[in-house]
Amino acid sequence: MTLARNDNDLYLIDLLDRLLAGGVVLTGDVTISLAGVDLVQVSLRALISSVATLVDE
Amino acid sequence: MADSLVYLYAVGDAALGESLPPGLTGVDGAPVRVIVEGRLGAVVSTVDPVHFDEETLQGNLEDLTWLAETARAHHALVEAVWRHEPVAPLRLATVYLDDDNIHSLLRQRGAAFTAVLDRIRGRREWGIKAFAHGSEDVDADQSADSNLGPGAAYLLRKRMARERGARAQQDVQEAVADLHRALSAAAAASHLYPPQAPQLSGRREPMVLNAAYLVEESEATTFTNAVQTWHSPHVHHELTGPWVPYSFAMLEES
Amino acid sequence: MSRLPVRLDAEPETVGRDLGRLVLTIVELLRQLMERQAIRRVEAGDLSEETVERLGLGLMRLEEAMDELREYFGLRPEDLNIDLGPLGSLLPPPER
Repeated sequence: MTLARNDNDLYLIDLLDRLLAGGVVLTGDVTISLAGVDLVQVSLRALISSVATLVDE
Repeated sequence: MADSLVYLYAVGDAALGESLPPGLTGVDGAPVRVIVEGRLGAVVSTVDPVHFDEETLQGNLEDLTWLAETARAHHALVEAVWRHEPVAPLRLATVYLDDDNIHSLLRQRGAAFTAVLDRIRGRREWGIKAFAHGSEDVDADQSADSNLGPGAAYLLRKRMARERGARAQQDVQEAVADLHRALSAAAAASHLYPPQAPQLSGRREPMVLNAAYLVEESEATTFTNAVQTWHSPHVHHELTGPWVPYSFAMLEES
Repeated sequence: MSRLPVRLDAEPETVGRDLGRLVLTIVELLRQLMERQAIRRVEAGDLSEETVERLGLGLMRLEEAMDELREYFGLRPEDLNIDLGPLGSLLPPPER
Protein backbone atom coordinates (compact mmCIF):
# COMPACT_ATOMS: atom_id res chain seq x y z
CA MET A 1 0.00 0.00 0.00
CA THR A 2 1.30 3.44 -0.70
CA LEU A 3 -0.14 6.86 -0.14
CA ALA A 4 2.47 8.36 -2.40
CA ARG A 5 0.98 7.93 -5.83
CA ASN A 6 1.85 11.33 -7.20
CA ASP A 7 3.34 14.66 -6.21
CA ASN A 8 0.11 15.81 -4.61
CA ASP A 9 0.10 12.80 -2.33
CA LEU A 10 3.71 13.31 -1.35
CA TYR A 11 2.94 16.85 -0.30
CA LEU A 12 -0.14 15.65 1.54
CA ILE A 13 1.86 13.45 3.86
CA ASP A 14 4.04 16.42 4.87
CA LEU A 15 0.92 18.47 5.48
CA LEU A 16 -0.59 15.74 7.65
CA ASP A 17 2.59 15.52 9.74
CA ARG A 18 1.97 19.15 10.64
CA LEU A 19 -1.80 19.16 10.97
CA LEU A 20 -2.27 15.99 13.01
CA ALA A 21 -0.95 15.30 16.49
CA GLY A 22 1.11 12.20 15.92
CA GLY A 23 0.93 12.41 12.15
CA VAL A 24 -0.01 9.37 10.12
CA VAL A 25 0.91 5.99 11.51
CA LEU A 26 0.59 2.61 9.85
CA THR A 27 -0.79 0.24 12.42
CA GLY A 28 1.07 -2.97 11.68
CA ASP A 29 -2.16 -4.75 10.95
CA VAL A 30 -2.53 -6.08 7.45
CA THR A 31 -6.05 -6.09 6.08
CA ILE A 32 -6.38 -8.56 3.25
CA SER A 33 -9.10 -7.73 0.81
CA LEU A 34 -10.07 -9.53 -2.36
CA ALA A 35 -12.06 -7.96 -5.20
CA GLY A 36 -12.60 -4.93 -2.98
CA VAL A 37 -14.05 -6.90 -0.06
CA ASP A 38 -12.17 -6.86 3.28
CA LEU A 39 -11.85 -10.45 4.42
CA VAL A 40 -9.09 -11.03 6.94
CA GLN A 41 -7.03 -8.95 9.31
CA VAL A 42 -3.61 -10.12 10.46
CA SER A 43 -1.91 -8.52 13.44
CA LEU A 44 1.77 -8.55 12.64
CA ARG A 45 2.73 -6.77 15.82
CA ALA A 46 1.58 -9.68 17.93
CA LEU A 47 3.53 -12.08 15.73
CA ILE A 48 6.67 -9.98 15.68
CA SER A 49 6.59 -9.32 19.40
CA SER A 50 6.56 -13.00 20.18
CA VAL A 51 9.37 -13.71 17.75
CA ALA A 52 11.41 -10.80 19.06
CA THR A 53 11.04 -12.04 22.63
CA LEU A 54 12.47 -15.39 21.59
CA VAL A 55 15.54 -13.74 20.13
CA ASP A 56 16.36 -11.05 22.67
CA GLU A 57 17.80 -13.27 25.36
CA MET B 1 -25.81 16.20 19.05
CA ALA B 2 -25.52 19.97 18.80
CA ASP B 3 -26.89 21.71 15.72
CA SER B 4 -23.55 23.06 14.77
CA LEU B 5 -19.97 23.29 15.90
CA VAL B 6 -17.32 25.96 15.48
CA TYR B 7 -14.18 24.93 13.63
CA LEU B 8 -11.10 26.94 14.63
CA TYR B 9 -8.38 27.35 12.01
CA ALA B 10 -6.06 29.95 13.50
CA VAL B 11 -5.72 32.80 15.96
CA GLY B 12 -4.21 36.18 15.12
CA ASP B 13 -4.44 39.84 15.86
CA ALA B 14 -7.89 41.39 16.41
CA ALA B 15 -7.22 43.48 13.28
CA LEU B 16 -8.15 40.37 11.33
CA GLY B 17 -11.75 41.23 12.05
CA GLU B 18 -11.39 44.16 9.66
CA SER B 19 -8.66 43.00 7.33
CA LEU B 20 -9.83 39.52 6.41
CA PRO B 21 -11.34 39.62 2.92
CA PRO B 22 -14.94 38.44 2.61
CA GLY B 23 -15.86 35.33 0.71
CA LEU B 24 -13.16 33.00 2.04
CA THR B 25 -14.25 29.41 2.57
CA GLY B 26 -12.70 26.61 4.57
CA VAL B 27 -13.45 22.95 5.29
CA ASP B 28 -16.62 21.55 3.77
CA GLY B 29 -16.90 24.79 1.81
CA ALA B 30 -18.04 26.56 4.98
CA PRO B 31 -17.75 30.38 5.03
CA VAL B 32 -15.02 31.83 7.21
CA ARG B 33 -15.42 34.60 9.76
CA VAL B 34 -13.47 36.18 12.63
CA ILE B 35 -14.44 36.19 16.31
CA VAL B 36 -12.75 39.10 18.09
CA GLU B 37 -11.97 39.00 21.81
CA GLY B 38 -9.68 41.61 23.31
CA ARG B 39 -6.55 41.88 21.16
CA LEU B 40 -7.03 38.56 19.44
CA GLY B 41 -9.13 37.34 16.57
CA ALA B 42 -10.10 33.72 15.95
CA VAL B 43 -10.57 32.57 12.36
CA VAL B 44 -13.47 30.12 12.36
CA SER B 45 -16.21 28.42 10.40
CA THR B 46 -19.51 27.08 11.61
CA VAL B 47 -19.60 23.40 10.61
CA ASP B 48 -21.97 20.49 10.61
CA PRO B 49 -21.41 18.22 13.63
CA VAL B 50 -22.08 15.14 11.54
CA HIS B 51 -18.44 15.27 10.42
CA PHE B 52 -16.75 16.82 13.38
CA ASP B 53 -18.21 15.58 16.62
CA GLU B 54 -16.10 13.23 18.71
CA GLU B 55 -17.85 10.07 17.58
CA THR B 56 -17.51 10.55 13.86
CA LEU B 57 -14.24 12.46 13.87
CA GLN B 58 -11.98 9.54 14.73
CA GLY B 59 -13.47 7.47 11.94
CA ASN B 60 -13.06 10.35 9.54
CA LEU B 61 -9.42 10.78 10.49
CA GLU B 62 -8.83 7.20 9.34
CA ASP B 63 -10.60 7.78 6.04
CA LEU B 64 -7.89 8.96 3.74
CA THR B 65 -10.22 10.63 1.25
CA TRP B 66 -11.96 12.72 3.89
CA LEU B 67 -8.67 13.47 5.54
CA ALA B 68 -7.04 14.64 2.32
CA GLU B 69 -9.92 16.92 1.32
CA THR B 70 -10.29 18.42 4.77
CA ALA B 71 -6.55 18.92 5.24
CA ARG B 72 -6.22 20.64 1.87
CA ALA B 73 -9.17 22.96 2.51
CA HIS B 74 -7.84 23.77 5.97
CA HIS B 75 -4.36 24.47 4.62
CA ALA B 76 -5.58 26.61 1.72
CA LEU B 77 -7.53 28.76 4.12
CA VAL B 78 -4.67 29.18 6.58
CA GLU B 79 -2.32 30.16 3.76
CA ALA B 80 -4.87 32.65 2.42
CA VAL B 81 -5.16 34.26 5.84
CA TRP B 82 -1.40 34.32 6.34
CA ARG B 83 -1.07 36.50 3.24
CA HIS B 84 -2.86 39.24 5.20
CA GLU B 85 -1.67 38.75 8.79
CA PRO B 86 0.54 36.29 10.61
CA VAL B 87 -1.64 33.81 12.48
CA ALA B 88 -1.05 30.95 14.88
CA PRO B 89 -2.49 27.96 13.02
CA LEU B 90 -4.22 25.19 14.91
CA ARG B 91 -4.26 21.47 14.23
CA LEU B 92 -6.79 19.87 11.98
CA ALA B 93 -10.30 19.53 13.38
CA THR B 94 -10.00 21.76 16.44
CA VAL B 95 -13.68 22.30 17.14
CA TYR B 96 -15.65 24.05 19.84
CA LEU B 97 -19.26 23.95 20.85
CA ASP B 98 -20.15 27.55 19.99
CA ASP B 99 -18.90 31.12 19.69
CA ASP B 100 -19.03 31.63 23.46
CA ASN B 101 -16.53 28.85 23.90
CA ILE B 102 -14.22 30.56 21.43
CA HIS B 103 -14.49 33.81 23.39
CA SER B 104 -13.61 31.90 26.57
CA LEU B 105 -10.69 30.25 24.85
CA LEU B 106 -9.25 33.56 23.70
CA ARG B 107 -9.68 35.04 27.16
CA GLN B 108 -8.18 32.11 29.05
CA ARG B 109 -5.31 31.29 26.70
CA GLY B 110 -4.76 34.84 25.44
CA ALA B 111 -1.23 35.07 26.80
CA ALA B 112 -0.26 31.74 25.22
CA PHE B 113 -1.61 32.75 21.81
CA THR B 114 0.16 36.10 22.02
CA ALA B 115 3.42 34.33 22.85
CA VAL B 116 3.05 32.08 19.80
CA LEU B 117 2.29 35.05 17.55
CA ASP B 118 5.36 36.86 18.83
CA ARG B 119 7.44 33.77 18.07
CA ILE B 120 6.28 33.29 14.49
CA ARG B 121 5.69 36.83 13.26
CA GLY B 122 7.99 37.59 10.33
CA ARG B 123 9.14 34.00 10.10
CA ARG B 124 8.42 31.01 7.88
CA GLU B 125 8.85 27.32 8.30
CA TRP B 126 11.02 25.14 6.05
CA GLY B 127 10.93 21.35 6.03
CA ILE B 128 13.87 18.99 5.53
CA LYS B 129 13.61 15.30 4.83
CA ALA B 130 16.76 13.22 4.64
CA PHE B 131 17.13 9.68 3.34
CA ALA B 132 19.93 7.16 3.77
CA HIS B 133 21.73 6.39 0.52
CA GLY B 134 21.26 2.78 -0.57
CA SER B 135 24.15 0.51 0.45
CA GLU B 136 26.84 0.04 -2.16
CA ASP B 137 27.36 -3.33 -3.80
CA VAL B 138 30.29 -4.42 -1.76
CA ASP B 139 30.78 -8.03 -2.60
CA ALA B 140 34.40 -7.44 -1.73
CA ASP B 141 35.13 -9.96 0.98
CA GLN B 142 35.44 -12.91 -1.30
CA SER B 143 38.85 -13.25 0.31
CA ALA B 144 38.31 -16.87 1.09
CA ASP B 145 40.11 -18.23 4.06
CA SER B 146 40.91 -21.55 2.47
CA ASN B 147 40.71 -23.20 5.86
CA LEU B 148 37.01 -22.52 6.07
CA GLY B 149 34.35 -24.80 4.66
CA PRO B 150 31.64 -23.22 2.54
CA GLY B 151 29.19 -23.08 5.46
CA ALA B 152 31.60 -21.32 7.78
CA ALA B 153 32.64 -19.01 4.95
CA TYR B 154 28.99 -18.14 4.36
CA LEU B 155 28.55 -17.18 8.00
CA LEU B 156 31.71 -15.11 7.91
CA ARG B 157 30.51 -13.24 4.82
CA LYS B 158 27.19 -12.54 6.50
CA ARG B 159 28.88 -11.36 9.64
CA MET B 160 31.09 -8.97 7.66
CA ALA B 161 28.04 -7.67 5.83
CA ARG B 162 26.25 -6.96 9.10
CA GLU B 163 29.26 -5.15 10.47
CA ARG B 164 29.45 -3.04 7.31
CA GLY B 165 25.77 -2.30 7.76
CA ALA B 166 26.31 -1.19 11.33
CA ARG B 167 29.17 1.09 10.29
CA ALA B 168 27.05 2.52 7.49
CA GLN B 169 24.28 3.18 10.01
CA GLN B 170 26.70 5.09 12.15
CA ASP B 171 27.92 7.16 9.20
CA VAL B 172 24.31 8.02 8.41
CA GLN B 173 23.56 9.03 12.00
CA GLU B 174 26.61 11.28 12.11
CA ALA B 175 25.69 12.89 8.81
CA VAL B 176 22.15 13.54 10.01
CA ALA B 177 23.39 15.09 13.25
CA ASP B 178 25.71 17.31 11.23
CA LEU B 179 22.94 18.42 8.87
CA HIS B 180 20.60 19.21 11.73
CA ARG B 181 23.33 21.17 13.49
CA ALA B 182 24.14 23.20 10.38
CA LEU B 183 20.52 24.07 9.68
CA SER B 184 19.63 24.78 13.31
CA ALA B 185 22.44 27.33 13.30
CA ALA B 186 20.69 29.19 10.47
CA ALA B 187 17.24 28.99 12.09
CA ALA B 188 15.46 30.49 15.10
CA ALA B 189 14.02 27.13 16.16
CA SER B 190 13.65 23.56 14.98
CA HIS B 191 11.20 20.71 15.47
CA LEU B 192 11.80 17.05 14.77
CA TYR B 193 9.06 14.78 13.47
CA PRO B 194 9.21 10.98 13.38
CA PRO B 195 10.55 9.72 10.05
CA GLN B 196 7.89 8.67 7.56
CA ALA B 197 7.39 5.01 6.66
CA PRO B 198 8.40 4.10 3.09
CA GLN B 199 4.78 3.60 2.08
CA LEU B 200 4.14 7.17 3.15
CA SER B 201 7.31 8.84 1.95
CA GLY B 202 7.17 7.21 -1.46
CA ARG B 203 10.86 6.28 -1.20
CA ARG B 204 12.52 2.93 -0.76
CA GLU B 205 15.43 4.28 1.24
CA PRO B 206 14.68 4.81 4.92
CA MET B 207 13.97 8.36 6.01
CA VAL B 208 16.47 9.42 8.65
CA LEU B 209 15.44 13.01 9.31
CA ASN B 210 12.05 14.72 9.18
CA ALA B 211 12.52 18.21 10.56
CA ALA B 212 11.01 21.67 10.48
CA TYR B 213 13.01 24.88 10.90
CA LEU B 214 11.66 28.33 11.81
CA VAL B 215 13.51 30.95 9.80
CA GLU B 216 13.30 34.75 9.66
CA GLU B 217 11.93 35.82 6.30
CA SER B 218 14.99 38.01 5.88
CA GLU B 219 17.23 34.95 6.47
CA ALA B 220 15.44 32.69 4.00
CA THR B 221 18.20 32.86 1.38
CA THR B 222 20.94 32.19 3.93
CA PHE B 223 19.00 29.16 5.09
CA THR B 224 18.26 27.73 1.66
CA ASN B 225 21.90 28.30 0.69
CA ALA B 226 22.98 26.31 3.74
CA VAL B 227 20.64 23.54 2.61
CA GLN B 228 21.94 23.52 -0.94
CA THR B 229 25.61 23.62 -0.05
CA TRP B 230 25.48 20.78 2.48
CA HIS B 231 26.57 17.45 1.01
CA SER B 232 27.20 13.96 2.30
CA PRO B 233 27.95 10.65 0.61
CA HIS B 234 25.76 8.90 3.18
CA VAL B 235 22.57 10.90 3.07
CA HIS B 236 20.55 12.89 0.57
CA HIS B 237 18.11 15.59 1.61
CA GLU B 238 15.11 17.45 0.26
CA LEU B 239 13.68 20.82 1.10
CA THR B 240 9.97 21.68 1.35
CA GLY B 241 8.43 25.05 2.03
CA PRO B 242 8.08 27.79 2.85
CA TRP B 243 5.24 26.76 5.12
CA VAL B 244 3.04 28.69 7.49
CA PRO B 245 4.79 27.86 10.81
CA TYR B 246 2.52 24.96 11.80
CA SER B 247 5.23 23.20 13.72
CA PHE B 248 5.96 26.18 15.96
CA ALA B 249 2.45 27.24 16.84
CA MET B 250 1.60 24.47 19.25
CA LEU B 251 0.20 25.46 22.59
CA GLU B 252 0.60 23.17 25.55
CA GLU B 253 -2.58 21.15 25.86
CA SER B 254 -4.66 22.54 28.70
CA MET C 1 -3.34 10.76 14.95
CA SER C 2 -4.38 8.91 11.86
CA ARG C 3 -3.83 5.19 12.15
CA LEU C 4 -4.00 3.44 8.84
CA PRO C 5 -3.85 -0.32 8.47
CA VAL C 6 -1.64 -1.66 5.73
CA ARG C 7 -4.03 -2.92 3.14
CA LEU C 8 -3.33 -5.84 0.90
CA ASP C 9 -5.73 -5.34 -1.99
CA ALA C 10 -5.71 -8.59 -3.88
CA GLU C 11 -7.39 -9.15 -7.18
CA PRO C 12 -8.42 -12.64 -8.33
CA GLU C 13 -5.58 -12.68 -10.85
CA THR C 14 -2.86 -11.69 -8.39
CA VAL C 15 -4.09 -12.97 -5.05
CA GLY C 16 -1.65 -15.89 -5.00
CA ARG C 17 1.27 -13.56 -5.53
CA ASP C 18 -0.01 -11.06 -2.97
CA LEU C 19 -0.48 -13.68 -0.29
CA GLY C 20 2.85 -15.14 -1.31
CA ARG C 21 4.47 -11.81 -0.65
CA LEU C 22 2.98 -11.64 2.83
CA VAL C 23 4.02 -15.19 3.70
CA LEU C 24 7.51 -14.82 2.22
CA THR C 25 8.03 -11.64 4.20
CA ILE C 26 7.36 -13.53 7.42
CA VAL C 27 9.62 -16.39 6.34
CA GLU C 28 12.33 -13.91 5.40
CA LEU C 29 12.04 -12.35 8.85
CA LEU C 30 12.55 -15.73 10.46
CA ARG C 31 15.47 -16.48 8.16
CA GLN C 32 17.19 -13.23 9.06
CA LEU C 33 16.59 -13.77 12.76
CA MET C 34 18.03 -17.28 12.50
CA GLU C 35 21.07 -15.93 10.70
CA ARG C 36 21.57 -13.22 13.27
CA GLN C 37 21.35 -15.73 16.11
CA ALA C 38 23.73 -18.10 14.36
CA ILE C 39 26.31 -15.35 13.91
CA ARG C 40 26.00 -14.45 17.59
CA ARG C 41 26.56 -18.07 18.62
CA VAL C 42 29.57 -18.41 16.32
CA GLU C 43 31.05 -15.20 17.72
CA ALA C 44 30.45 -16.45 21.25
CA GLY C 45 32.90 -19.21 20.30
CA ASP C 46 31.19 -22.13 22.02
CA LEU C 47 30.42 -24.15 18.89
CA SER C 48 32.59 -26.80 17.33
CA GLU C 49 33.97 -26.26 13.83
CA GLU C 50 31.74 -29.01 12.51
CA THR C 51 28.65 -27.41 14.02
CA VAL C 52 29.58 -24.02 12.59
CA GLU C 53 30.01 -25.57 9.15
CA ARG C 54 26.65 -27.33 9.34
CA LEU C 55 24.88 -24.20 10.59
CA GLY C 56 26.39 -22.19 7.76
CA LEU C 57 25.50 -24.75 5.11
CA GLY C 58 21.92 -24.91 6.36
CA LEU C 59 21.54 -21.16 6.31
CA MET C 60 23.17 -20.92 2.90
CA ARG C 61 20.69 -23.46 1.52
CA LEU C 62 17.85 -21.56 3.19
CA GLU C 63 18.94 -18.35 1.49
CA GLU C 64 19.05 -20.15 -1.86
CA ALA C 65 15.58 -21.59 -1.27
CA MET C 66 14.24 -18.15 -0.38
CA ASP C 67 15.73 -16.66 -3.56
CA GLU C 68 14.01 -19.34 -5.62
CA LEU C 69 10.66 -18.80 -3.90
CA ARG C 70 11.00 -15.08 -4.37
CA GLU C 71 11.72 -15.44 -8.05
CA TYR C 72 8.86 -17.89 -8.43
CA PHE C 73 6.48 -15.20 -7.20
CA GLY C 74 8.20 -12.52 -9.27
CA LEU C 75 9.27 -10.51 -6.21
CA ARG C 76 12.35 -8.40 -5.64
CA PRO C 77 14.13 -8.38 -2.29
CA GLU C 78 12.70 -4.96 -1.47
CA ASP C 79 9.16 -6.21 -2.07
CA LEU C 80 9.47 -8.35 1.04
CA ASN C 81 8.78 -5.76 3.65
CA ILE C 82 5.93 -4.47 5.72
CA ASP C 83 5.80 -1.36 7.81
CA LEU C 84 4.72 -1.94 11.38
CA GLY C 85 4.23 1.73 12.19
CA PRO C 86 5.69 2.41 15.60
CA LEU C 87 7.73 -0.80 15.44
CA GLY C 88 9.43 0.37 12.27
CA SER C 89 9.85 -1.69 9.14
CA LEU C 90 9.64 -5.42 9.57
CA LEU C 91 12.91 -6.02 7.79
CA PRO C 92 15.98 -3.84 7.33
CA PRO C 93 16.63 -2.66 3.76
CA PRO C 94 18.03 -5.49 1.64
CA GLU C 95 21.80 -5.82 1.52
CA ARG C 96 23.07 -6.57 -1.92
